[in-house]
Parts: sequence; structure tokens; C-alpha cells
Amino acid sequence: MPLTAESIAAEIKARIVAIAAELGDDASELGPDEIIPATGLIDSAGLLDLIAWYEKTYQIPLTQAEINIDNLGTLARMAHFVLLKKGLV
Amino acid sequence: MATPIHVPRINNNDDEVKVLAFDVKPGERVSAGQIVGQVETDKAVLDVTAPVDGYVLGFVAQPDEIAQVGSVMLWLGASASEPIPEAGAPTPDSSTAGPSPVTGKAKLLLARYGVKSDAVTPIDGRITVEAVERYLATHGLAAAAPAPVVAVSRPAEPRPEVPGTAVALSREEKGMAATVVWHRDCAVPGYIEIDYDPAPWAEYARAFQEEKGLLMPPLLPLMAWRLVEVARTMPRINATFVEQQRYEYGAVNLGFTIQAGESLYLAVVREAEVLDAGGFVNALGDVLRRAASHQLRESEASGATIGFSSMERWKVTRHIPVLPPHTAFMLAHAAARNGRAVLGASYDHRVLNGGQVVAALKKLSSPT
Repeated sequence: MPLTAESIAAEIKARIVAIAAELGDDASELGPDEIIPATGLIDSAGLLDLIAWYEKTYQIPLTQAEINIDNLGTLARMAHFVLLKKGLV
Repeated sequence: MATPIHVPRINNNDDEVKVLAFDVKPGERVSAGQIVGQVETDKAVLDVTAPVDGYVLGFVAQPDEIAQVGSVMLWLGASASEPIPEAGAPTPDSSTAGPSPVTGKAKLLLARYGVKSDAVTPIDGRITVEAVERYLATHGLAAAAPAPVVAVSRPAEPRPEVPGTAVALSREEKGMAATVVWHRDCAVPGYIEIDYDPAPWAEYARAFQEEKGLLMPPLLPLMAWRLVEVARTMPRINATFVEQQRYEYGAVNLGFTIQAGESLYLAVVREAEVLDAGGFVNALGDVLRRAASHQLRESEASGATIGFSSMERWKVTRHIPVLPPHTAFMLAHAAARNGRAVLGASYDHRVLNGGQVVAALKKLSSPT
């Protein structure tokens, strides 16, 4: 199945929902343009988990400099960054 | 002269690792830094790299074999036809490569066995405890095991009267047991906490995150960085107790606890004192991401000289951490409640007294 921004964002959201659920939070209403850390739905350890999963799932090793709000701050940005790293946009 | 590649230590608590695979073949030319194979424990998989350019002479360990940390895994030679040294033959030293930094714990071990640092092959450019242990094992001076500690003699625990089943511990469980036994038998642990206002720290971290555009909230890394700063000015909190002396480490290797799935790691940023705040936050972020992926490098999974632990994630408002072996200060961060929080520290009372710990905690309770 081809990678699209929508399918990637849906996968990432599913992962965030699962991480938030471990801490007793519900992230099912997370919108594509909400700043993820600002929502408080997942903490720093949860974000680490998310980034480790993101790198592995999409096979895009990240540098520390790339892990910023501009690239990965929202579902939409994370999805776009996958496509960017893979040369699909 | 042939160069051995030893089985690396993945973490402090595993003396054996499983050889997963080799990426090279006998006779193949390899370059320094090239990955030649992988080893694993229950907690992590680690790439093994060639320390020098050379040719693969042959393998001592085999895939799927459980190998002792520090034993020879494979041999490299200057030419493909060089013979593999017999077992027990001396291995080459690194004296021609210039002096390598020697960690504090390695210095203790070298002194204990009367070995000169230039005889030891460095790991990641440093003479570490693991490097010395490999040397000792290779030269028949000692088993490849952590530095011996004198444990309190205790009577064997009687079996419970209630019938049950004995379950063998996993490696991780054994490691945890070894750590808490060091804490119980070797340290003289104490715990002190102070009450503080977490708001200035929260504001400082928020501004730092905004200024740097960071994705990850930097509060805990910045508090860990503050601990490094305090350790630089109070060297006795970055110390241990050996042979009736306080041993102040020459570097601040900050160990940071991270739970990754079922595994609890103490991820280490070495020589943190040479970094600035931004550099430290990035360096810690790197090792924490590798820990979260169970990909910690050998040098990042051992060698802590001071520790940082937080249980804020679980909304815990107080916890008393166990001291990692050969440390004297472990900061305990916890969740705030009603606008107040406690900052605590487990400490080795042989090295620090209560007043010194309180002084350190007061410095740590504010970002500046």
C-alpha cells in the first residue's frame, strides 16, 4: 500500500492513542494540527517511545537536530516529514 | 601481530551475552569502525566493530553461542595469512596509538592488579572497566567480571515453609538483584529530601524548549544537567568509596534511568561536564532514544558515576532509588502535588554526610 500523508498520520495517531492509554489518557480526539507535546496527552517518556517507534516503523533514522517542533510537532508534520525523508514530496 | 576483538559488555549486570551473527568472513578485509557482528542480551542488541584495519583471521565464538564478556570473539591480522594466536598468548597493546583516557573506575581496577593503562586495548577510545577486564581475562589475571566488592556475609535464607515453585531469574532480574545487593551490602545508604517549588524549574524548561524549538520537554534533562554542574563544584557527590578512601571521579558520567518496555536502563552520558546545557540535552536525548529502541551502545550502558531518577511519569510523589554500584549520589525527582514537590537523593553515607546532601539538593532545587 503506498504511503500517503493520511495513512501515515492515522498510524501515528493510533500509536499515540496506545501510548496515552498506558498512562490512563484518551488521545482519540487528537487533531492533525495540534501540537502534540502541548496537549499533555503523552509525557517525555511517551514521546521517546513515539520517536523510537517512528524511526523504526518508517526506517528513517533521525538526528537530534531533526527532532523538533517544526518537523515532528503535529500528526500532519510527522506524516509530511516521513514523505520528505523518503523523497516522496 | 594479531588483534583480538573481544565480546563486549552490553550492560553492567550481564557477564554473558549471546553471539548473534558475524557480518564478515575469514580472509575478508575490514576497516576500523566497520561492524563485524552483533551480540545480544535480553535487553539490547549491540553491533561489534573492528578496532583497527585488518583481515579476519577466524572466529573463536560462534553464532548463537553464549559467550563470556571479555573473551575473544574473533581475530584480525595485518595479513590474511597471519596465524591465530594460541589461547592464552599475550594480546597486543595499544601503546603505539597514543595514550587513551582512563576512566576513574578503570584506574581503580588497574591499580588493584598493578597493570599499566598503556597495556590495555581501549574501548571507544577509552580505557574503561570493560577494557581492563578484557585484559585481565586474556592474561589469566582474573575472570571477566565486575571489580570485586566485599559483601557482607549473610546466612543463607531458609526456604519458605509454604509449598511453591522456584522460578529462575531472567538476566534483567539478576541484574536488578545484583544492583540492590551492592546497595545493601557495599554502600551505607541514606536518603534525604527537601521540599521545593517546582514552578521556576517548569518555567525555565518551558522557555528553553520554546527558544530551541524542542519537541521533547527538556525539564528532566535540564535538571540532570544541573546535577552535572553541581557535581563539578561538589566533587564528593561524584565519587565512590574504595579501600577506605573516597574516590572522586575525574569525569561526570551521568546515569539517567529510563524504562523501555519491561527493561529498566541506566543510560549514561559520559564526560557530561565538558558539555554545555544544549549539548547535554542533545546528548542525553540521543542515548535515551537508543535506550527506548534497546540499542544502547556499550559505552552508554555502563560507567555511571552519578545518577538521576524520576518517577514523575507514574505520578509518584516520593521514591527512594537504589544506588547504582560505585556511585554515591542518586537524585530522586518526583511528581508535584498542590504546587509543591520533593527532591530527594539516595546517597552513600561513607562518602557524604546529610549536610552535604542537603546542600546539593538546595542547589538542584532551582535552575540557577
